[in-house]
Amino acid sequence: MKLLRKKEKLYLSDKRPLSITGKILLVITYIILISWAIAILWPLFQMVLSAFNGKQEQYLMLNDQFTFSLKHFEYLFNNTLFLQWTKNTILIALATAVLTLLIVSLTGYAYSRYRFKGKKISLMAMMLIQAIPTFAGITAYFTMYSVISSINPGFTRQMMLVLIYTGGGIANNTFILKGYIDSISTELDDAAKIDGCSNLQVYRLIIMPIARPMLALIALWSFIGPFMDYLLPKVLLTSPETYTLAAGLFTLINDVRTLNQPAFAAGGLLTAIPVVILFIALQKELVSGLAEGSVKG
Amino acid sequence: MKVILKNIGKKYEGREEFTLRGIDLKIESQDFCVILGPSGCGKTTLLRMIAGLNSITEGDLYFNDKRVNKIPPKDRDIAMVFQSYALYPHMNVYDNMGFSLLMRKENKKIIHERVMEAAKLLKLEEYLYSKPSDISGGQRQRVALGRAIVRKPKVFLMDEPLSNLDAKLREHMRVELVRLHKTLGSTTVYVTHDQTEAMTMATKIVLMNDGKIQQVGKPEDFYNKPANIFVAKFIGSPTINIIDGSMINGKFVSKDGIIKVSPSEEDGKLLEFYEGKEVSLGIRAERFESGGKLGDTFECTIDVVEMLGKEKILYTQLENGHELLISVPGHYEYNEGEKHSFGYDISALHFFDSQTGERIN
Amino acid sequence: MIKGGSELISNDIELKKFKFEEKKFLKTLKANKKKFKNSLDKTLPYKAKKLKVDLFLAQEKSQFYKDYVALSYDAEFEYEQSNLLMEELPDIIHNIIDRTLDIEKALIEKKNIDPSRERKFKKEFKEFKKEHKAFLKEEKRKLREKRRKGSISKKAQVNEINILKQKYKEKIILKSYESQRKTNKEFIKNTRHEIKENTKINLKILNSNMADIRRKIPIEVEKTKPKVAYFTFLFPGIGQMFNKQYKKGFIFLLASLFIYLIAIPYALGFGNYQGEGIRGLITLAEGGRRIDKSLIFMIEGIIAIFLVILSLFLLYFSFKDVLKVEKDTIKGVRPNNWFETKTYLSEEGFPYVANLPALIVIIFMVLVPVTTTILLSFTGMDPQHQSKFSWIGIKNYKMIFLGEGLAGSVFWLTLGWTLVWTLLATSLAIFIGFILALLVNNDRVKGKTIFRTIYLLPWAVPAFISIMFFSIMLSPNGAISQLVNNIWGLEMSVKTNTTQTRIALILLQGWLGSSYIFLLSTGVLQAIPSDLYEASEMDGATTWQKLRHITLPIVLFQTAPLLVGQYVFNFNNFSIIYLFNGGGPFEPSKYGNLAGSSDLLISYIYKLTIENQYQGIGAAITVFVSIAVMLVSFLGYRSSKAFKEERL
Repeated sequence: MKLLRKKEKLYLSDKRPLSITGKILLVITYIILISWAIAILWPLFQMVLSAFNGKQEQYLMLNDQFTFSLKHFEYLFNNTLFLQWTKNTILIALATAVLTLLIVSLTGYAYSRYRFKGKKISLMAMMLIQAIPTFAGITAYFTMYSVISSINPGFTRQMMLVLIYTGGGIANNTFILKGYIDSISTELDDAAKIDGCSNLQVYRLIIMPIARPMLALIALWSFIGPFMDYLLPKVLLTSPETYTLAAGLFTLINDVRTLNQPAFAAGGLLTAIPVVILFIALQKELVSGLAEGSVKG
Repeated sequence: MKVILKNIGKKYEGREEFTLRGIDLKIESQDFCVILGPSGCGKTTLLRMIAGLNSITEGDLYFNDKRVNKIPPKDRDIAMVFQSYALYPHMNVYDNMGFSLLMRKENKKIIHERVMEAAKLLKLEEYLYSKPSDISGGQRQRVALGRAIVRKPKVFLMDEPLSNLDAKLREHMRVELVRLHKTLGSTTVYVTHDQTEAMTMATKIVLMNDGKIQQVGKPEDFYNKPANIFVAKFIGSPTINIIDGSMINGKFVSKDGIIKVSPSEEDGKLLEFYEGKEVSLGIRAERFESGGKLGDTFECTIDVVEMLGKEKILYTQLENGHELLISVPGHYEYNEGEKHSFGYDISALHFFDSQTGERIN
Repeated sequence: MIKGGSELISNDIELKKFKFEEKKFLKTLKANKKKFKNSLDKTLPYKAKKLKVDLFLAQEKSQFYKDYVALSYDAEFEYEQSNLLMEELPDIIHNIIDRTLDIEKALIEKKNIDPSRERKFKKEFKEFKKEHKAFLKEEKRKLREKRRKGSISKKAQVNEINILKQKYKEKIILKSYESQRKTNKEFIKNTRHEIKENTKINLKILNSNMADIRRKIPIEVEKTKPKVAYFTFLFPGIGQMFNKQYKKGFIFLLASLFIYLIAIPYALGFGNYQGEGIRGLITLAEGGRRIDKSLIFMIEGIIAIFLVILSLFLLYFSFKDVLKVEKDTIKGVRPNNWFETKTYLSEEGFPYVANLPALIVIIFMVLVPVTTTILLSFTGMDPQHQSKFSWIGIKNYKMIFLGEGLAGSVFWLTLGWTLVWTLLATSLAIFIGFILALLVNNDRVKGKTIFRTIYLLPWAVPAFISIMFFSIMLSPNGAISQLVNNIWGLEMSVKTNTTQTRIALILLQGWLGSSYIFLLSTGVLQAIPSDLYEASEMDGATTWQKLRHITLPIVLFQTAPLLVGQYVFNFNNFSIIYLFNGGGPFEPSKYGNLAGSSDLLISYIYKLTIENQYQGIGAAITVFVSIAVMLVSFLGYRSSKAFKEERL
C-alpha cells in the first residue's frame, strides 16, 4: 500500500496560531470595532444627507422622503451671509496663526535656551493662568473693546478676537514648543556660534528651521481654533456681517427670523469638509505630536 | 598658533568648589596636544573654555601672545569638532561645510573652492548634496571634520570625535586625523578618555584628573616615567601592577612580605631617603622575567589566561590572593592552574611615595 | 598701597597739583585735537580718520599721565589705556587704509574692463546655460524612465533630481565668475564687507581689552556710604549719571519719563478715557455723568494699577543698579563703561527682550480681564445697576455659598450636576477611546488605517456642528428619536425630561471625546517597546496581566496630565450644554428662572452674565470656578514629566 502523503499547508504567519478562544475574541473585537464605526458614520451620514434633501423646507426631516437637491446650498450662498462669514473666519484664523507663531517662537526659544530670573515661576504662572477659561474675562473684553475703539476707530471687534485667541494660546504653545526645542541638542547652538552666528542668527537659521514640524502644528492649531469656537464670537461680535462661521450658522437654528435648518446642514457640511481633510492628511503628525507632548509633559 | 593657559580656573555659579583650578599649559604651534582623562575630570570644560563657549573665571588665555579671554568664539579663528558632530540636520553636506564661510559673507566662488577641497581631502564628493540623516556615522564624522577644515582655522579643537565609531573605523580615522593635522599644519587640541588614542596620536599629552593636571609630556614619558600612581595606572594596557610595601634595609618588601625586590643602583640611591617609609612599587605586565638570571623571584598560580594572539595575559594570584598581571609572548605554553616563578627586570621598576602617590625615581 | 600718615599730607598737595595740571592739559588737548583733525589727509576714509584722532589723543595722554602713574590710580588708568590704544590702533588703521586702496584699484580696473569682451562672455554664458539646462532635462527624463520601469523608487528619484539641480546651480554660478565684471564687483563688495567686519572685530577686541584694564585698576573715591542711590532712587537715570554712566543713565531717564509723564498721571486720572485712574476704583463713577460707566472706571483703574506696578519695578531696578555700582566703587571696582554694559545686555538681556511681546499681550488680554472679573465679584453689578454700581464686599459670595437669593439657591445644585457630569462624561470618553485604541492596535486586526480614520472623525468635525445636529436628531421628530421608536417602541422626549437630557449629554460627550483619547492612546501604545511584552511573555503573563501591569500603567503615566486636562475641559464645557438644549429642560420649582437642569456652572455663569446681566454674581461664581480649576491643573502639572525634569 502506498502511503498517502498529505500536502502540508504552510503556516506563514510570524505569530502563534490562534486558539478557539482567541478566534472568538478576535471576532468580538471586530464586532465592537465595526459597531462603533457605524455609531460614528450613521449620524454623520444623516448630516450629509440632510444637506441634500430637497423635501425639507425650514426644518430638517429625517425620514424616508428624500429627493436630491442643491437648493439648500443655493439658499446658503444667496440668502445668507455665508460667504462673508467664511471670509471673516479665514482672516481671523490666519491672523491668529501668524501672531501666535511670531510671539511663541520667540518665547519658546527663550525659555528653552536661556536662564533668567523668574523662569520657573513665570512658566508655572503661565500654565495656571492657562487653566482659567477665556470666558472669565468676557465682561472685561466687552468694555475694553469699547474703550479702545473709541480711541482708535480702526480697531475692529475681530481684531479683539484675534488678540484674545492669541493671548489664550501663548502659555500652552510656549510650553510645547519649549519641550520640542529642548530636544534639539545644544551642541548645534555651540557649532553655530563658532561658525559665526549671533544669538538671533542661531534662532533664525538653525533652531527655527529644525523646529518646523512643531511650529507647523502650532500654526495649524491656532488656525483651526477660531473655526471651532462658538462662544466668543457670539458674545463679542454684534453685527451679522462680522460673524464667524460658528456664530453665523447658529443664527440659522436659533433665531426664528432666519431659521433654516437645512441650510445650516449645508453650511455645516461645507465648514466641516476642509477641517476634516486637514485632520486626516495630518493624522500622523497629530498622533506623534500628541504623544510627544505627553511624553515631554 | 601657540596656545598658552596661565593659571586658568573655572567655577560654576552656585557651586561651592572650583571645577578647574591653577591650570598652566603651553601648547606649541603645530602641536597635536591630547587632553586625556577619565570622565568628569574637567577636560571638556577646559576645551570649551579654549573655544570660548564657557567663560573663564580666573587666569589668562593667550593665542600667540594675544589675550583672548573675552573674545567670542567666532572671532577666535578656531574650529571645533563635537562628539555628536553637531551637523545641521536641515542642510545638506555642502551647506553644512560652507556655513561658516557663508556667515562671513565670503565670495561664492571661494566657498565652492574650499568646500570642494575639503570634500576631496575627506572623500566626501559623493555625498555633497545629501542630508546628514542620509549618510552613515563615519561619513558624518568626516563632514564634521570637513566643516572644521573649510574654515582654515589656526587651532583645531576636537571633543572625543571618535567615540561614536566602531573599532575598525576608529583605527582608520586615528591615522587619518594625524595625517590631516600634518597636511594642514595647524595646532590641534584633542580631548579623549581613550588612552590608546592619546598614545598613538599625540605629540604632547596632558593627563587630567579631578580638575588638575597630573602630567604633561610626550607619550613615551607617560609610559616610561609616569609622574604618579594615577598616571601609571591610567596609561598602559593591561594596567600596571602596583604593590604596596616599604623600604627595609635597602630592599623593597611588600606589606605581606611575599615580594622582595632589590632595586637598581640609581634607584637605590634615591630610595635611601625612604628607608623605613611606605613605598609603592609599580611594574608593567611585560617587564617580568622568566628563565635566565632571575635575582629576586616570587611564585604564583595562574588563574585566567587571556589569549591575545601575539601575547598572553596571565592573571596570576600570589599566596595571599594578591593579583598580578603578567604578559608573556603568545607562543609560550601557560595553562590555568599552573604554578610558576617569575623575576623582575629591575631597570623597569617604578617607585612611588605611598602617601603622596608621587614618583620617586 | 598703604600710605603712612606724614606722606598723606604731601600726597594731598601733590594730588592737588596733579588735578590742576590735568585740567590745563585737557584744555590744551582739546585745541590740539582740532588742529590735528584739520591737518589730516582729506582723502582718508572716515573711520581711519576717526581712529587716527583717537591715536593722537592716546599718544598725548600717555605722555602726560606717565609722570603721575604712582600718584593716582586714575592716572595709572589713563596711562595704561592710552598705551593699549597706541599698541593696537596703528594696525587697525593700516588695515583700513590698505584695503581701501585695494578698492580704489579695483574701481579703476572696473573702468578698464573691455565691454566687447563682456558681451562675448555674456553670449558664451547664455550658451553654456542652455546647454546644461538641456542636459539637466535629459537626465530628469532618464530618471522618469527608470521610475516608470520600476528600477528606482520615488524617493531615490526625488533625491537624484535634487542633487542634479544643485549641481547645475553650482556649475552656473562658477561659470558666471568668468565674467570680469562680476569678479570685480564681487571683489569690491567683499573687500568693503571685510573692512567693516574686521574693523568691527578688532575694535571689539580692543574694547574688551580696555575693559580688562578697567577691571584691573581700582578706583578711589572719597565717599564711604552709597548715599546717591538712596537720594536719587525716585528718579531713575540721575543716579547713573552720578556714577558717570551716561549712556545707561540716558536710558533710565526714559524710564523716568515713562513713570512721571505716563504712569503717574494716568493713575491720577489724566488721559483716562472716562475713568479717574486709581481713584476711579474706589468711587466707581458714583455721582458722575450719565455716560460715565462704573465698569470703565474699574478697568481704567486696573490698568492704572498695572502701570504703577510697572513703575515700581522700574524704580526698584534702577535703585539696585545705582546701589550696586556705588558700593562697588567704594570697594574700588570701576563702574562698567557702555561697551561692557552693552555686551552684558546682549548676552543676558536677550530672553527678557524675547519675552516682551508675549508679556504685553498676556497683561492686557489675560491679566487685566481676570483682575476685572475678580473685582467685579465684589460689586453689585446687576440688571438694575448696569451703568453704575458700587462695592458690596463679599455679599455675592455669601449669596452663592449660603444658597440664598435669586442666584445663590441654585448654586449647589448646579455644582453637584457639574461634578457628576465631569466625572461621568470624561471617564466615559476615556474608557471608550482607550478600549478602541487597544483593540485597533491589536496585531491581528486588519484595516487599521480605515478604522483610525473613521474614529478620527468625531474630533475632526467641528464640535458645534455635531452638537447642533444631535440636538436636532434627538428632538421629538428627529431621526434618532424616530429610530428608537421604530426599533424599541419607546417614546423619547429627551429635551423635556431632565434625566434623559443628562444621559444624552453624557453619551454625546463620550462620542465626541473618544476620538482625542483614541489618538492619544494610539500614539502612546505605538511607542511602547515590544521588548516589554516579549519579556513578560517569557515570565508567563497572560493577556489580561500584560494589560494590567504593562499597558495600563504606561499609558496612564504618560498621558496623566493630558487626561487631567480633559476633566478640566469638561468641567467648563459650555458648548455642548448650551447648544444641545440651552441648559434645559427648565424646572422652575427646583432651579428658578435662570438655570436649567442640565446647566453647568459655566453655562449658568453665561446666562447670569450675558443674558440676564447679573455680572456681579456671575463674576463671583467665575472666581470660584477658576480657583477650583487652577488647583486641579496644578496638581496635574506637578506630576507631569516636563515639570519634574525641568532643565534649568
